[in-house]
Amino acid sequence: MDSNTLNIQNRTLIAVSDTDESSYEFQVKNQYEFSSKGRKLKAELIEEADGILLFSCEGVRYPVEIVSVKQNSYEVVVNGVSYHYTIETPFSLKRRQILAANRPADLNEEVVAPMPGKIISILVKAGQEVQPGTGLLVLEAMKMQNTITATTKGVVEKVSVREGQSVSKDDILVEVKKQ
Amino acid sequence: MIKSILIANRGEIAIRIARTAHRMGIHTYGIRTKKEPNAVYLQKVDEIVDFPDTDGTTPEFLDIANLVKLAVDNKIESLHPGYGYLSENADFARACRDAGVIFVGPSPEIIHKMGDKIVAKEIAKRSNVPMVGGALGGVPNADEAVREAEAIGYPVIIKAATGGGGRGMRICRSTDEVRPNYELCTKEALTAFGDPTVFIEKYVENPKHIEFQIVADKYGNVVHLGERECSIQRKHQKLIEEAPSPALDDDLRARMADAAVRLAKEAQYESLGTVEFLLDHERNFYFMEMNTRIQVEHPVTEMITGLNLVELQLLIASGERLPITQDDVHLNGWAIECRINAEDVQAGFTPSIGMIKNLRLPSNNNIRIDSGVRVGTEITPFFDSMIAKLIVHGTDRADAIRIALHSLEHFVVMGVKTTIPFDKAVLHNEIYRKGDFNTSFIETCMDSLVWHEEHEELIAALFAVSNYNHDNDFSGDAGEQAEPNVDPWVLQKRIRHL
Repeated sequence: MDSNTLNIQNRTLIAVSDTDESSYEFQVKNQYEFSSKGRKLKAELIEEADGILLFSCEGVRYPVEIVSVKQNSYEVVVNGVSYHYTIETPFSLKRRQILAANRPADLNEEVVAPMPGKIISILVKAGQEVQPGTGLLVLEAMKMQNTITATTKGVVEKVSVREGQSVSKDDILVEVKKQ
Repeated sequence: MIKSILIANRGEIAIRIARTAHRMGIHTYGIRTKKEPNAVYLQKVDEIVDFPDTDGTTPEFLDIANLVKLAVDNKIESLHPGYGYLSENADFARACRDAGVIFVGPSPEIIHKMGDKIVAKEIAKRSNVPMVGGALGGVPNADEAVREAEAIGYPVIIKAATGGGGRGMRICRSTDEVRPNYELCTKEALTAFGDPTVFIEKYVENPKHIEFQIVADKYGNVVHLGERECSIQRKHQKLIEEAPSPALDDDLRARMADAAVRLAKEAQYESLGTVEFLLDHERNFYFMEMNTRIQVEHPVTEMITGLNLVELQLLIASGERLPITQDDVHLNGWAIECRINAEDVQAGFTPSIGMIKNLRLPSNNNIRIDSGVRVGTEITPFFDSMIAKLIVHGTDRADAIRIALHSLEHFVVMGVKTTIPFDKAVLHNEIYRKGDFNTSFIETCMDSLVWHEEHEELIAALFAVSNYNHDNDFSGDAGEQAEPNVDPWVLQKRIRHL
């Protein structure tokens, strides 16, 4: 047993959802015992014989996966559904809120490839005005041609790919300057 | 009977065909490609043949010359095209026949007639089957597309003449949309089906999609096996199908079945075929197209009829008479198929690429799983995203929904994201459960595209927190993230300096 398990922590950790900023606050007693809003929660991670991970809590057992960990940001999958949470301490949460309030609004939107594929055609040029929903380019993956559209109103700053080019997931395709 | 068969397809359908052919005593051959040399389907065939090295511009299962050559060189008597790829390509069926290989499907002439939607519409007209408005013919260029679209009146739909499986179709609501969609559709038709011809017809808003399974032998016997309800679609891709349809009563079913059989007889159809109809809000039905292959969703028909469609297809290809008459066909209970695609529903159904790290399939009475993957299978962008189909059979619709949900809760795929949470969301949806839905269901009737089980969000948050807690050692100096021993006054001071 490592020292962490023995260490009675009684810390507060807050999981802040990256999608809607909603949050859950937990008091951590040790690796298995938590509480939330005064309710005690026992959590257990079980690895089944076939390698499937089940997270047991509140009388249910759900299959779970950790997809990515970037510093204190976790992408987890529960029952096949993704959740993105950033884990904060009370102090780091306060700092985050202050930083968010002081940060200037982001002016450029980078449109990235949602999946690996091939650029079939480019529908816009630098300098062109776009609206949410304007087709920017056509990406082919899994035999389907997908039109990648703008999500904000703005002007195309730069087209970073050419027709026929293969792209990886998250490659920057087009930069749009927000208006 | 046919003695040997080359399965010119991959994935679950290759396995499905191999299973029945093997049981019928037919020697099965599978094709190994460089893109997935260790695919599961290769384990289910009696013999493996390697696809030859080519310049690589034509995907293997679209390469007519090399596929036929594989059959000829290995002295294989017949070839099954599966679905998609060349399954509805008349040139392929002709190349097989010319090489002396039995093509498991209709003759090239019939595929041409019915597979070409433009010719099919003419046959539908002759057999008095109702159709939606539109010109009877291909559209040569974008200018003509605009002219035709304006003559028909918006909305219109541009379709690949030889398309299928939901690909090569674009809806246009104004003249602005016609030109780009015409170009896209033509390109997509050429890459996906090898024929750039497209046509335009009136687009029926939010219809139901209902199709009838037809089976016909070479001697003029045509039997229908009831309908399939395929209205749960996204971008014309079917996601959940069922049989029978909750929208039909006996009278409407009989009229639609009669139209489907009439059409098949007029076309002198043979083999398996599917007559697709649109059903509008006033319960008028219109012929849409006829598919001359086995369908992805054929298992729901098998579940309620107790018939094996691949077996019937192989018997017909062998020149045998249909072993059943219409009176032998009874629809029993209710079947639902949920497609399990490697797609990230939360990211707009984008393909989810990666390796299947873990897989747990439900097992139960009255369920069937057709799958072409196992642990270790790489999901690549080369192929269709469907990795499995769950098919359930219940005594009635409510029973089938209950079994499907229970099975989905025990269906675990790790490593890639799948449409399982979406399938659950549909099956829990009140409108779906009432049976009162059409092809706009996904856009208009779903509050959330994924189903969240009880306490799921809290459990996900706690799972993330417990991982963080495990990953971060708080006992020592862990920098700025963990500062249990720092004086609160110092913390406040740091915050003020941010």
